[in-house]
Amino acid sequence: MARVLVADDASFMRQMIREIVEAEGHEVVGEASDGDEAVEEFKRLHPDVVTMDIVMPRRSGIDAVKGIMQLDPKACVVMCSALGQESLVQEALQAGARDFIVKPFKPESVVTTIAKVIEKPE
Amino acid sequence: MDLAKYRTIFIEESTEHFAEMSSALIALEKDPTAAESIDVVFRMAHSIKGMAGSLGYDSITELAHRMEDRMQVIRSAGCVAAGDELSLLFRGLSALETMLEAVKESGEAPAADPELIVALAAATATPCVEAPADVGEALGGAAATPAAEVPAAPAEAAGAARSEASAVAQPVQSAPSRPTQEPSRRAVNPRPPPTVRVNTQTLDRFLNTVGEVILNASQVRTSAEVTVSAKGPALTEGLDRMDRVVGELQRRALELRTTRLLRIVEPLPRTAREIAQRAGKKVDVEISGAELELDRSILDRLGDPLVHLLRNAVDHGIETPDVRVAAGKPETGKIVIDAQREKDSIRIAIRDDGAGIDLDAVRARAVQAGVLHPDLAADLPANELAALVFHPGLSTARTVSEISGRGVGMDAVRATVESLGGAVEIASERGMGTSTTLIVPITAAVQRVLLLNIAGETVALPIAKVERILELPSASVERSGREAFVLIEDDLVPVLDLAERMAVDADAPREIVNLVLTEVRGERVALTADHVAGQQQIYVKPIPELLASARALAGLTILGDGRPMFLLDLNQLA
Repeated sequence: MARVLVADDASFMRQMIREIVEAEGHEVVGEASDGDEAVEEFKRLHPDVVTMDIVMPRRSGIDAVKGIMQLDPKACVVMCSALGQESLVQEALQAGARDFIVKPFKPESVVTTIAKVIEKPE
Repeated sequence: MDLAKYRTIFIEESTEHFAEMSSALIALEKDPTAAESIDVVFRMAHSIKGMAGSLGYDSITELAHRMEDRMQVIRSAGCVAAGDELSLLFRGLSALETMLEAVKESGEAPAADPELIVALAAATATPCVEAPADVGEALGGAAATPAAEVPAAPAEAAGAARSEASAVAQPVQSAPSRPTQEPSRRAVNPRPPPTVRVNTQTLDRFLNTVGEVILNASQVRTSAEVTVSAKGPALTEGLDRMDRVVGELQRRALELRTTRLLRIVEPLPRTAREIAQRAGKKVDVEISGAELELDRSILDRLGDPLVHLLRNAVDHGIETPDVRVAAGKPETGKIVIDAQREKDSIRIAIRDDGAGIDLDAVRARAVQAGVLHPDLAADLPANELAALVFHPGLSTARTVSEISGRGVGMDAVRATVESLGGAVEIASERGMGTSTTLIVPITAAVQRVLLLNIAGETVALPIAKVERILELPSASVERSGREAFVLIEDDLVPVLDLAERMAVDADAPREIVNLVLTEVRGERVALTADHVAGQQQIYVKPIPELLASARALAGLTILGDGRPMFLLDLNQLA
């Protein structure tokens, strides 16, 4: 079981991810609706996994990954991307994100991706 | 996965996104380089795409995707191109709104307009309009950012600059071209505290229950005072504590019932733009005071009157560009929507700098229609003359609306506002423009009322509407057929038999009749009552669904002895 922080500016997406990961027995310990909040909540909650949207107000998901990596280089961040954002995903992976999932989400892919990143600590 | 639940969230969240997109597009019309507005439209389209994709609404996904791509191009160009680009984006937004409406009604999304998809996909080669130098500087960070990245830096800078600005009376739509003053829902507070989304029905049920608690508490107090003769200190203290806690609960509940004015004024600039475009006019709408909050039940009913006044201002107030230039005015007309708090009310003024009302035409028409005596007409002050456009007999008259430009449905505006316990004011100057002000109470939940007994029933009237109470011999009521009148200070006032209107059996006629002198749509009216039972402050609950068709009932409260009492809406009664 992992403690998950969900960062997405759409409450729709946050709820959907929450439902998927909770069904798998994980615990959603916090939610963030922008990049700043994601970094702050990471600092406060030290989650095992962060699901990070790329397009968010105030601070993009990529900048938030950079901020989180500065706090904890071992942090597990999974990017939530959409089709057409390949170059952004690449940038996020270079910045330290472990993996990515593509919207619209298939519950299985969310679950297997989270399982993958928590089983393979760097 | 519970699809219905996600569909509801999708509809709610998209509706909010549309409002933000709309404001951002209006801002881009004023400043095509406003980086944050470009970013908002991009993000909103992206977010809608993600939600629609998750629910399998492929046509919405595709259109939102095209909008997002288009915004990407605009972002790299640094501006919305001159010409039709903005109209194209507005069309895209309207199409998304229409599709969401269909989802709301049928659960299905219709196909996207292929022509629109093609138009959005067409690459734009139109160069930017030269941006003002200061804007270029402010956007320095964004210009250096590669196109595909999310330019968070300028948004942050803008947020920081805004946080220093005063939150009070900050214009939501403003003409200045600096991105730091760009309108946004987040403009007032860059970091809002965490919120939870609550379905309004759930909230209403909760608030109803709070109302129930408040009413029950007052019943407990009443019966304790009546039945417990030797009250111990424990009971007295307990009752006092209960009163304090219930009072606090009532204040918190009233806060929860409030919503920002922004919700109904936010779409107005776009509405004005559309009306103006059809009429070949140009108009700028400025909004201030949109952060003020008022009771949701009042807010919900103000939308139509505001749109109506705005439509009047654009259609009949603002002149065509050539007429304006000839009159020495700027080509683009200006409409200011300004809300201000005044004690327990909010004053919402809609001011235009258009042609103003032709008061001579109103005067002539009023005399012709028999509303105004010719002798009085000559000396009537301008403000009273202008107020005649609210007169039902005049306001529906086609000729007046053609001559003066105002009038159609103005009586409906007034009736709505008065039903809410408010009032309307109007002032106009020929050639300078017109200003219409709606004055509405902040809360509908707590009202001072006059209690009337009618054939064994007790009903309540908003006391603000009562002029005075008279006791007259019943012979002074003159009857002619079904009509009844009473002469008060040389004024023939129609008498309304409340028992008859309420379809209850009236008591036997009495020698002395109680008349409550009040005003219905600007006319003095006397209401008959068996007995005037005093005044009281009541907590008004909404009318239950079952009785919703009884429009004369404005609300409900529970009396100390547990009986229900209705609050009458006089405008619907007469």
